[in-house]
Amino acid sequence: MSPTANFMQKEQTVAAALPWLADAALLEKQKSPPWLRALRETGAEQFAQTGLPTTAREGWQHTNLRPLTSIKFHYSTEAVKFDARKLPQKLLEQSDCIVLVNGQYQPHLSTIPDGITVMSLMEAAEKKVEGLEEYIVSLGDLQEAPLKALNTAYVRDGIVLKVQAGKEIRRPLEILLYNTGNSSHAPAIYPRILYCLGDNSTLTLLERHTGEGVYLANSYTGVVQESSSCLKMYKFEEESCAAYHFSFFSLQQHKDSIFEGFSCATGGQVVREEYQNQLIDSGISSSLNGVYLLQGRQSHDFAVLMDHFGPDGKSAQHFRGVIDDQARAIFQGKIHVRRSAQKTDGHQSGRALLLSDQAEADFKPELEIYADDVKCGHDAASGHLDEAALFYLQSRGISKAEARALLIQSFLNAALEHVTFAPVKKVYEERIRLWLAR
Amino acid sequence: MLNIENLHVTVAGREVLKGINLSIEAGKVHAIMGPNGSGKSTLSYVLAGREGYDITGGKVAFMGQDLLQMAPEDRASAGLFLAFQYPVEIPGVSTTTFLKTAINALRKKRGEKELEPVQFLKLQKEKLTQLGMDPEMLKRGVNVGFSGGEKKRNEVLQMAMLEPKLAILDETDSGLDIDALKTVAEGVNNLRSPTRSFLIITHYQRLLNYIKPDVVHVLARGKIQKTGGPELALLLEEQGYAGFYGDGEAA
Repeated sequence: MSPTANFMQKEQTVAAALPWLADAALLEKQKSPPWLRALRETGAEQFAQTGLPTTAREGWQHTNLRPLTSIKFHYSTEAVKFDARKLPQKLLEQSDCIVLVNGQYQPHLSTIPDGITVMSLMEAAEKKVEGLEEYIVSLGDLQEAPLKALNTAYVRDGIVLKVQAGKEIRRPLEILLYNTGNSSHAPAIYPRILYCLGDNSTLTLLERHTGEGVYLANSYTGVVQESSSCLKMYKFEEESCAAYHFSFFSLQQHKDSIFEGFSCATGGQVVREEYQNQLIDSGISSSLNGVYLLQGRQSHDFAVLMDHFGPDGKSAQHFRGVIDDQARAIFQGKIHVRRSAQKTDGHQSGRALLLSDQAEADFKPELEIYADDVKCGHDAASGHLDEAALFYLQSRGISKAEARALLIQSFLNAALEHVTFAPVKKVYEERIRLWLAR
Repeated sequence: MLNIENLHVTVAGREVLKGINLSIEAGKVHAIMGPNGSGKSTLSYVLAGREGYDITGGKVAFMGQDLLQMAPEDRASAGLFLAFQYPVEIPGVSTTTFLKTAINALRKKRGEKELEPVQFLKLQKEKLTQLGMDPEMLKRGVNVGFSGGEKKRNEVLQMAMLEPKLAILDETDSGLDIDALKTVAEGVNNLRSPTRSFLIITHYQRLLNYIKPDVVHVLARGKIQKTGGPELALLLEEQGYAGFYGDGEAA
């Protein structure tokens, strides 16, 4: 490419990025520590260089963001107005709950169990919470993640949650991220969430993303798990059907820690959930599984990286998609085993069940291995419902609808069986049942 | 109970059944014997309601209803049961879940109350013991990892649990060793009653040593070529199917 062409293209990218960054000026009037201002600037600069990813970009071939460009999203620093009575009920009876509306923490609607401290990101920045700057700044390569850069340009909303070392939090904690917007005023929401689990602590989280109307939810979640900590994180992606959801999840796991993640995705118009799990020391277990149930013209992309740095690590990815109508499921799963990560045991599996002729699945498993003593495997496949099995069930008196549901549930169960916390598994099963009966 | 009149069936443009006439009364055991490709399995699938078969002529009445107009699940709730020649594997659905779903679907359609879990387990255990089956099998996916014999026993288990009025056994003896054959036959004999009928489809006479038929039919080239008593099966065993190809054609 000639230097002029290169320049021209860069100009175009900046021009395309500008509307997205216009509201960032509002943040300059806000009181923030210098490091946070610098971080926003870096985010804005990086995003200006790339703009929104196009389908020409590596890793974005199957997620088309063009529909977003026809909507004018507004960012606001003002407190969001909402009707608290319209917030959805908790998922579990026995749980605590933290509420964020359009990314803004609502302490008066939240209950915090002992052993956990929670504050809004800005409060944490003001109070100079130990390690905060380090955690937030250690972002990895923003160029590789344009939407993470965009989120960084607006870093302000969200929460910092810390679990004290040695604390076993028995009651599950729900994080409700409720978003509200409409087509005449579609908000852009950029929450930044930080979970820090001290040594030997345990926590079970239910992260529920939901809302009504048109909005863009572009979140970044950073998680640090200290040695021997255990985090179970169960996500419900139930955004409004007119919403756009992009989440970036970055996890740093230390020695002998355990992570069990699951995402049940049913909502949103265009969705991408990106996960980067770093298994930094030895003896770490990291498992991330999920199901997607898609219909209409939904598009959902799971992009997962299990990055093994230390030896004796174990990682697993099990994803199952049920795709109807003209919906599209994308799975990009990668296991990266560095030279230092001997005795790694990594597995990934992605399967899609297509319920219509126009449904689409793009599953791309990937292994990148530099250590020589490892056990890694992957599989990916898509197909239709087994007609022979359907007839077999019907011939025993089971109605066609019930037979279909039974087969779909059993297909999804290959992912769902990795949920070890029974009350949440039940909620997921109920979600699947409702989707099938829609 | 079952009345088949001049049934013609085409599969992928080829006529496989060319005018079947067959009538089974309550409490009777009929056997259909025939060589490979004679249309035996087609007949069983058409009766059970599998898709992909063009019925080009004739009619079938079952318990006074027009069978061919009914969905497969409705045929089952009317009392028809097919023991598959090749039982289908369903990974992820345990045999217990499958049986419970099936039995309660049938009960619901018949206007009966669903079985309580305890009642169901008791019934399942009783039938399982009768058939000498390993309870561990019930936890596995339906037919997944089952041996040929286990699959056939599972078919008989389903039949025993669902208590049909007419059971069609499609080559239930194929792939069975002599012990498994005896167990399966015993399972069938235990179910014999004055109100229940059987249609046993088989290539060999062997199974009929253990399940005594009332009537034996020879099916060849898409037509019933001969009907007789149990002695017809023995004759076939001796002479083979060569004499039954009809129209004077050889195999």
